[in-house]
Amino acid sequence: MVHILYIEDEKEIGSWVKKDLTERGYQITWLESGENAENYLNTADMLILDVMLPGLDGFSLGKRLKKNRMDLPIIMLSARTSVEDKVEGLSFADDYLTKPFHPDELAARVEVLLRRFQKNDDTIELQHLTIHTKDLQIKNRSTGQEILLTGKQYHLLQYFLRHLNQILTKEQLYEGVWGEPYLEGDKTLMVHIRYLREKIEENPAKPMIIETIRGVGYRVKQ
Amino acid sequence: MKKFFRSLLAKYMLIILMALVLIQGAYLLIAWFALIGQNALEERLEQDTLNPQTIEKQWHKEAKLLENTSIETIEKHFSKWKQLYPDASMFWVNEHGHLAQQLDVKAKLPTKWDSTYTAKFIKERYNGDPFTVISFIGKEENQGFIVFEMERSIFNPPLIQVYEKYGNILLFGVVFIIFSFILVSFLFFRGIRKRLVQLQDAMSIRDVDGLPIQVNMKKQDEIGQLEQNFNQMVEELRSSRIREQKEEQLRRELIANLSHDLRTPLTKIRAQTYSLAKEGLTIEGKQHLKTMEASITNIDRLIENLMSYTLLMSKKYKFEPKEMDIQRFVRESIATWYPVFEKEGFEIDVALEKMEQKYWLIDPIWFERILDNLFQNIIRHAKSGLYVGVKSEVTSEYDAIVVTDHGKGMKNESSEKGARIGLSIVDLMVKNMQLDWEIESDTNGTTIKIKRIKDVIDVNP
Repeated sequence: MVHILYIEDEKEIGSWVKKDLTERGYQITWLESGENAENYLNTADMLILDVMLPGLDGFSLGKRLKKNRMDLPIIMLSARTSVEDKVEGLSFADDYLTKPFHPDELAARVEVLLRRFQKNDDTIELQHLTIHTKDLQIKNRSTGQEILLTGKQYHLLQYFLRHLNQILTKEQLYEGVWGEPYLEGDKTLMVHIRYLREKIEENPAKPMIIETIRGVGYRVKQ
Repeated sequence: MKKFFRSLLAKYMLIILMALVLIQGAYLLIAWFALIGQNALEERLEQDTLNPQTIEKQWHKEAKLLENTSIETIEKHFSKWKQLYPDASMFWVNEHGHLAQQLDVKAKLPTKWDSTYTAKFIKERYNGDPFTVISFIGKEENQGFIVFEMERSIFNPPLIQVYEKYGNILLFGVVFIIFSFILVSFLFFRGIRKRLVQLQDAMSIRDVDGLPIQVNMKKQDEIGQLEQNFNQMVEELRSSRIREQKEEQLRRELIANLSHDLRTPLTKIRAQTYSLAKEGLTIEGKQHLKTMEASITNIDRLIENLMSYTLLMSKKYKFEPKEMDIQRFVRESIATWYPVFEKEGFEIDVALEKMEQKYWLIDPIWFERILDNLFQNIIRHAKSGLYVGVKSEVTSEYDAIVVTDHGKGMKNESSEKGARIGLSIVDLMVKNMQLDWEIESDTNGTTIKIKRIKDVIDVNP
């Protein structure tokens, strides 16, 4: 079970978020200040942190905790919405959500971050595929066969899965997977997507897994 | 008074005074010399010893009185006159026409004087220079003649004599004084100029905070005071800059706290409505909750816009322009908005053509804010059209990002107000980034173009 450490001094908001996230299947440790946060640090998979806290503020606390555990994803949850605050928050945190947030949005961002940090060993079901995210084992449920991918196809799919439900532009994809700046008119990405579709889609002419968003990019939607 | 003596004015006055004293001193010196010379001469003039007529008369008179002339008597006579007139020369030609005696005669005289030569000599010397008196000796005038010669300049007025004697020294002295005055003045003004130039250089140096640095005060004079005032000004500028930064910090803090204080209760309301929604409510109850939810979102957006607008109006909104690939930027922004439009059932039409000048100098946060405001307005106010178009327009004069909806137009906005402040922010931001924008709105929808006038590229470089 994913363990989320949640630090929030407002009781009403704290109990509400704890209740909602618990209902969504996470284990939540809610603290009203950052005093004892270090005690839970080793068992936490994620940190949700309010900025305005009694004693040490969220920014300082977040920086300190991130220093101790670089692999810990942090979401800042704040009613401070100025650009300066966001910039300061994002200098160490992985996401910044402003109040009043909708619990669906918070849950979605938690999911995205857990995937990006590969904290959940869930299997993802996409159409006819079952994918184990940790070892990226892909199984076609209709045939029962495992699908094998080449290195680049593997990286490409992994990138999509890490940004599940997000639309990725071709520049973002190319730079994320190849690690080089995208040059206008380069067909490499399209070719790789075609090959990947041929392997994973039931009907590559009508792709259902890797969606094309016309004029914008591609998306893998759960 | 002490201050006055340190001033440049005092120094300059001292130089002028010195020049005046020197010139006046020189004149006094000359006058003193002249006075001494004149006194000596005047004494003799008073005794009539330096009068040509007196000399002539006396010479004739004494020559007449000479009897039994011999070399000794003549010599005695000459030495007596020599004492009186040290500059004079004398000689005696005897009754036989022989040059018998001479004293201090510079010209070469013949030893034998015949009548022709004597006549020639008399003619030459008559009213000439040197002043000459020829006188026969004795009452009978038969013992030859004695001649008295003296330079005529001896009879010149005393000042002329002084001038002739000391003229060159005087000229050199005056020239020297004038040149030294010019030199001292030059050095004085060069010193001032040098310090002013140094001060100017020091004033143009900037510290890390963009303010001038303080200059070293060397002297207590007028320039020193200028340096002191300059330093004081820099100090005031610096303190006012610090004050301004503190005020800005306070303002930011205030807005951040205000934002926090307003949003925290909003979050609590949302928590309540969310929890309520999970209870078994009637359809009407659910409808009310939905309206509440929408109001929370709306208030949140209004707070945000109000804060941003305040910051923008007071020019305190952080602005950091960068060269950005505009198509890529817009595409990434749509990618984040796509699910929202999709959820509402919008048709999303994205067509970004290739632009030749695709790099725009924009602040990415600002431009994102502009697009967010436009998209938010479409979702809030143009939902009925169920269409959003994001396209590029390339003309010969400008490139533009065109955002279109098929709503009922600005004048027939949906019941939800609050679009105006969002558009005011768009307007301020667009103009601050040196871009242009236009809105066309009718009952069939609204088209907003954000335009960048093309850089002029010389076709014939």
